[in-house]
Amino acid sequence: MALLSIENIRKEYDGIIALDRISLKVEKGSITGLIGPNGAGKSTLFHLISGVEKPDSGKIYFKGRDITSMEPHERSTLGMGRTFQTIQVWGNMTVVENIMAGMNQKLKGGMLSYGLWLPRIRRSEKGALQEAKEILDSLGLLGKWESMASQLPYGKQKLLEIGRALAMKPDLLLLDEPASGLTLNEIRHLSEKIIHIRQEGVTVFIVEHHMGMVMELADEIAVLHNGELIAEGTPEAVRRNPEVIEAYLTRRSRDPHSTLSPMEKVSQYEIKKK
Amino acid sequence: MVETKKNEFRKRDLFYLVPLWLLSLIAPDPYLYHKKEFKKKDLFYLGAIGLAPLIWSDPHFHHLMVLAGIYAILSLGLSLFMGYAGQISLGHAAFFGIGAYTTAILTTRYGVPIFLAFWASAASAAAIASFIGRPILKLKGYFLALATLGFGEIFLVVLRESTDLTGGVIGIFGIPWFSVMGFIFDTYLKQYYLTWGVLVGLFVFSKNLVRSKVGRALLAVAASEDAASSVGINVPRIKLEIFILSAAYAGLAGSLFACVMSIANPEAFSLGLTVLIVMMVILGGMGNLYGPIAGAILLTWLTDILSRYQEYSLPAYGMILILLLIFFPDGIGTRLNVRVIYLIGYWAKKKKRDEGKL
Repeated sequence: MALLSIENIRKEYDGIIALDRISLKVEKGSITGLIGPNGAGKSTLFHLISGVEKPDSGKIYFKGRDITSMEPHERSTLGMGRTFQTIQVWGNMTVVENIMAGMNQKLKGGMLSYGLWLPRIRRSEKGALQEAKEILDSLGLLGKWESMASQLPYGKQKLLEIGRALAMKPDLLLLDEPASGLTLNEIRHLSEKIIHIRQEGVTVFIVEHHMGMVMELADEIAVLHNGELIAEGTPEAVRRNPEVIEAYLTRRSRDPHSTLSPMEKVSQYEIKKK
Repeated sequence: MVETKKNEFRKRDLFYLVPLWLLSLIAPDPYLYHKKEFKKKDLFYLGAIGLAPLIWSDPHFHHLMVLAGIYAILSLGLSLFMGYAGQISLGHAAFFGIGAYTTAILTTRYGVPIFLAFWASAASAAAIASFIGRPILKLKGYFLALATLGFGEIFLVVLRESTDLTGGVIGIFGIPWFSVMGFIFDTYLKQYYLTWGVLVGLFVFSKNLVRSKVGRALLAVAASEDAASSVGINVPRIKLEIFILSAAYAGLAGSLFACVMSIANPEAFSLGLTVLIVMMVILGGMGNLYGPIAGAILLTWLTDILSRYQEYSLPAYGMILILLLIFFPDGIGTRLNVRVIYLIGYWAKKKKRDEGKL
């Protein structure tokens, strides 16, 4: 059975149909990519999955449970980690505390036992610190574990955000445009990290603008266009799909830094890699 | 011409570092405030608290410090809610009042031992906080501030009008001294140790919260609620919990206040008190626990010293607050070293600057 399955989702904003008849399955252990031109409804779908917004009709199942009307924090507790399109690390905490806050739900005990600093609390806090340092080590951020998170450079903050989501030990990791604002080198580094994350048994769902990265990473790709799912399949199949090509060619990218269409970007990326 | 000499280093500047070094021993270390473990410095503070009333054994000083301690308990609780969870409450005077009146009513009308009434005060403040917290904590920012302000005003009206229960505008007299198992806290010195003992206990409790899971959840909620719920933190619940906790602190402080003053009347719990506590938290520095205590001591002293100058006291008070906020925008504990260097340098060079030599 699929880890996450979306069935017949529909979402309207003031009469404008953002998503219509979307059905999608994310298999356990896979990397699934969701792509589409600007305004296709990618972010809306992402918000529906993470629970920030609720669909008008349709169902969302996670691990076989109906999560359609669950709050975001309940979904996270079920094992759904996410990152944000605009970085949302907690700048008022240190790097290691950011990761430890990600583990919060696994640490048991009420406010009273924490205030009294009972021996078992002492042990669990110590264990959490250790574990957080290991996660930071695997992300290459251990050198800065004591500095404030707001002092990290942009790319490192993105990594920290992924680390925070991983600290929950999620089964499904939702990445909202992880490559946006990163340099090509950082994107390559990030891709390696994502592959590594999948090897550890975490299913990854990426919503991304950067086509090259998704094409390289994903096992399955879904393409959204004008609120509808126009293609689904392996990267190769999607790339050859005439509807996808048409969708991307008729609507050029609005990326201000580039006048290339996303499909042209893919080829550029591949050339640079060689 | 003149500008070039401005940054020149002189040997004399080194002497300025001596008082600064001494100050930095006392001041909460601003740049390391995110290291939240207990440090040796805390033992130093504890010693200072224990010895201060013995060295300076003057009843007026003791009484002032008792008040400062009570306000410190109150602002400690508020700083958990404001400084850590990033919410605004302008209704904490009401919880303070609920604590004071619970103690007053239980001890004078029903003859409940004061030690039990003390805990009942915290419980009643917490219960009312959990009752009003559920609806109003859905509000954010200014709206939350206004809702809590409204709660404070409603509380005052209830106090004044329900004469049978609260004694109306006159209030309740003759609240007994605090006593535990026959030991009566009847002098200012004993009360000093009582309030500061409670404060130290609550401080340790708060610090344990802040350096653990709870503190991280609070800071996460303050920085980004979306991100907090993305890691499974139940945002409404943690907000409610910390609101209840800070109300319980206020209840304890109110109970102590009633014992020390032996009277509870509505005037003591008006908006003025709320503004005073919020000012203590802001002046002391948000986002650390030493700040509200420093702020409480500072403002209690300031009001006392200025009250000698009668009609000039309020304008002077306002001026001093404005100056403090200009020179210490992040609180008197934060960046103290830097600020003092700046001020000393300013005064040292003032004469030369006036003569046009600099």
